[in-house]
Amino acid sequence: MCALALKDIRKAYGDARAVDDVSIDFPQGELTALLGPSGCGKTTLLRMIAGLEVPTAGTITLGGRDITRLPAHSRKFGMVFQSFALFPHLSVRENVGYALTIAGTPRAEVMARADKLLDLVQLQGFADRRIGQLSGGQRQRVAIARALAQEPEVFLLDEPMSALDAKLREEMQVELRLLQQRLGITTIVVTHDQREAMTMADRIVVMSKGKVEQSGSPQQIYQWPATGFVAGFIGRANFMEGLAENGKIRVGDVLLTLPKPANFLNGAPVQLACRPEAIRLGTSEAANTVKGTITFVRDLGPVRDFHLDTPLGKLVAEQGADQGRNLKLGDTVPLSLPPEALRIYPRGIAESPMGMAAE
Amino acid sequence: MTATDDTAAWPRETAAAAPGTKGPRAGRSALAVQVVLWATVLVFCLVPLFLVLVISFGHKIEGAGWEWALTLENYQRFFVGANWPAESTSLYLGQLYWSMRYAVVAALLAVVTALPFTYLMTRQSRRAQAVWLVFLLATLSLSEVFIVMGWDIILSNNSGLPMLFAATGLTDWLKDTGWFDVLRDWGLANPRNVKFKPSEVATVLTLSYLVWPYAVILLYPALSRLDPSLAEAARTMGARPWTVARTVILPSVRLPLIGTTLLLFVFLLGAYVAITVFADPSQHTTAVSVYEHVRGSTLNAPFGAAQSVILLVTATAFLVLGQWLTRKSPRAA
Amino acid sequence: MLRALGAIFMSLAALVVALPILIVCSAALNGGRTMFFPPQDPTLARFGEFFVSEPVWTRALTNSVIVAVGAATLSVLLAWPIAYRLWKTGSRASTMLATLGSIPFAVPPIVFGVGLGFFWAFLGGLGTIWAGIISHAVLFLALPLVTISIGLQAIDRAHLDAAATMGATESVTFRTIVMPQTLPYTVSGFFFALVLSFNEFIVMFFVSASSFATVTLQIFNSLRNGYTPTMAVAAVAFIAVSIAVFSAVARWGDLPRLMGADQSRN
Repeated sequence: MCALALKDIRKAYGDARAVDDVSIDFPQGELTALLGPSGCGKTTLLRMIAGLEVPTAGTITLGGRDITRLPAHSRKFGMVFQSFALFPHLSVRENVGYALTIAGTPRAEVMARADKLLDLVQLQGFADRRIGQLSGGQRQRVAIARALAQEPEVFLLDEPMSALDAKLREEMQVELRLLQQRLGITTIVVTHDQREAMTMADRIVVMSKGKVEQSGSPQQIYQWPATGFVAGFIGRANFMEGLAENGKIRVGDVLLTLPKPANFLNGAPVQLACRPEAIRLGTSEAANTVKGTITFVRDLGPVRDFHLDTPLGKLVAEQGADQGRNLKLGDTVPLSLPPEALRIYPRGIAESPMGMAAE
Repeated sequence: MTATDDTAAWPRETAAAAPGTKGPRAGRSALAVQVVLWATVLVFCLVPLFLVLVISFGHKIEGAGWEWALTLENYQRFFVGANWPAESTSLYLGQLYWSMRYAVVAALLAVVTALPFTYLMTRQSRRAQAVWLVFLLATLSLSEVFIVMGWDIILSNNSGLPMLFAATGLTDWLKDTGWFDVLRDWGLANPRNVKFKPSEVATVLTLSYLVWPYAVILLYPALSRLDPSLAEAARTMGARPWTVARTVILPSVRLPLIGTTLLLFVFLLGAYVAITVFADPSQHTTAVSVYEHVRGSTLNAPFGAAQSVILLVTATAFLVLGQWLTRKSPRAA
Repeated sequence: MLRALGAIFMSLAALVVALPILIVCSAALNGGRTMFFPPQDPTLARFGEFFVSEPVWTRALTNSVIVAVGAATLSVLLAWPIAYRLWKTGSRASTMLATLGSIPFAVPPIVFGVGLGFFWAFLGGLGTIWAGIISHAVLFLALPLVTISIGLQAIDRAHLDAAATMGATESVTFRTIVMPQTLPYTVSGFFFALVLSFNEFIVMFFVSASSFATVTLQIFNSLRNGYTPTMAVAAVAFIAVSIAVFSAVARWGDLPRLMGADQSRN
């Protein structure tokens, strides 16, 4: 069942389109991450869902009901803001109970409900504190509790982790995800952090320049990026530019084979992407093998990155800590790009997902 | 994505969406509030000034009040005298000259001394700044009558400084060294002792004192926003403190400096008590004359109004000049 | 070296600024009817005259308090909708309205005073304390306008969005978010207007038409007869009020911010 649906949503400021004809369905009870770089329109989109901005065109429906022009205060959507936007003149309990108080709920009931929500986010005993006395992580918990107070139909979070430090961020991602699953509430998280999106989301919608690039499960997005942009934005990728040649791809002097012949005309310009962890070092018998010289080794502990100069250009290969222990700077080693790990995109013209995209 | 680049345009967008959320009744009462606000502001802020302008063209009835008219006789009187062309007087132009002279000198003196003070103040801790601000605001808000009272006690001939000069033998020392004659030439001494009342020096000093806290308060925002790393950067490049002040600090506060001077000037044009107490009657100002004519012995409201208009025009002219000066400056952008 | 010079300069400036005020304060202790410095026959009798026994002064003080409190209240009430509208819409009309409302404070007070004298003569309010209150409210409208505008700008717009997502309409947001968060600024504006109204006498001189007097106006009117120590008592009282009020603003409001200091630095 589809809780919330966007149809051809557009937001224009003068000639510029912050959001350009976006259609997304948000399934009931799932957590969807809107992922994209700065200025891709994801926050604008979220604000339109919240009712804080009115779309220039398109419709938003909730359970089949058109809510496009319904103002924010008439939608029962809870929202967590990037800065948390906690009211400094109110106590923690008053913040959490705000929605209920202004709705005229009796005071005792507001207090009981606020305390229950504070329990939920593990902030028992903080109810009477001022906002200024809380740490960043505590503030975020208050913001979450406050947004959940009115039992929202949809739960919106705008870059909820960006004000937290790196370690706390990872903990909160897991915690928030567990909370969301426990409550089974339809949730939309805006983020520019792909790790955050992959940690929390049932589904990721990748946006760029106001448009949806791809939507799918984290695994689909990672394994089968629909466009070169997605391949570059989600995780890391080695990009190579080549030309189609009889179902194979020529990059420089090398002819790379694909698992099945590509549907490109001979001479068509294409872009190839290959994940660093898919490159195999030191095996010369496999397909698509070239020789490369190691120019830099980056030891990250659990994995090591080898930067290589190859006939295909500069490549990065990621190896487990136990692999390639004897390789060192300046060595020339064979490396292979497995055909099934190659992703291919048209180049130079407007991208349209090719046969290798999701499904 | 920062929230700002996405949301820069939103207030107006939501405002545009607002009518859908309000009933027509709310819209009508909002309109009523607007009408009342506009009417209030127009009636109380502008009509009095408008009346001054209109009455400045009025006609005084000898021995009575005045009547509506459309005559330039008040302006004629100001510039060349009532009996022109038979005879002409520059009495009122002279008063305007003294108005401007006092105002310019006192404003410049205040700004020049307030600038280093404000700079030093902004380099202090926020708490210390708050203490200074309380002190300055308290003196700033203090009525002109009290300030003149204080300076009057300090400067008057039978108490304060002249008495102190005579008692400590400073007067005799000045006479011995010949400085006394210099002071007499400046009008700051009578045959027996130094005297500061009436004198232009005392007038200017008091006026300057009157606006000095204003100068600090007006310069404060610009100087407190001055990035200290600018001066530090200049210092690391080998600039001496004075060079830093001349090449980094002064240019960056040039515009507020001009603006402050102009505002103080306009403020000082209306000074009254300090002038009547400290200035020689031959050196009185247009503001004093306005009092005399509107509420004083001569009772000629239209002429007082005309002088007020001229005072206002002078103030506006200086402000426009200042605008023009700052717009001409290459740094204005 | 330079630091020491700076410290000397600042202390000197503080001394010069404080000097005439201190002298006036000490003159209030004079036993006789003439202002002497240092005071002769020090006594506190003048304080009794000013606050209790001299009807001229007690009446003037009452008038001063009535006018100042009334004018400050009125100017805050008028400033609020103007500042709120300006902040909410930022429209050209609201900017214009705020500018017009600031004009009386910007013109030389004598010019505005003369104008108000004519104005109240026509309306028949000349010489009534009501005219005095309204005149000062208009004259000092600019002060609460500025402080309230600063306060409104300090509100995080995300707070308004947050309130809206929790079901708050504009009027509820105004009551629960905007008002409480701008309260220190409103109070500051009130106090600024209060203190300046207390000390103002030029506009009051034209509006009162000699039928009532505030303290400063009373001193101004008796200027020709010379100062008396009782007037110095008034000065002491007024300075005390100013310092108390501005200290309160500094304590509960953000004085450096109100004065336009950079927020990012401390």
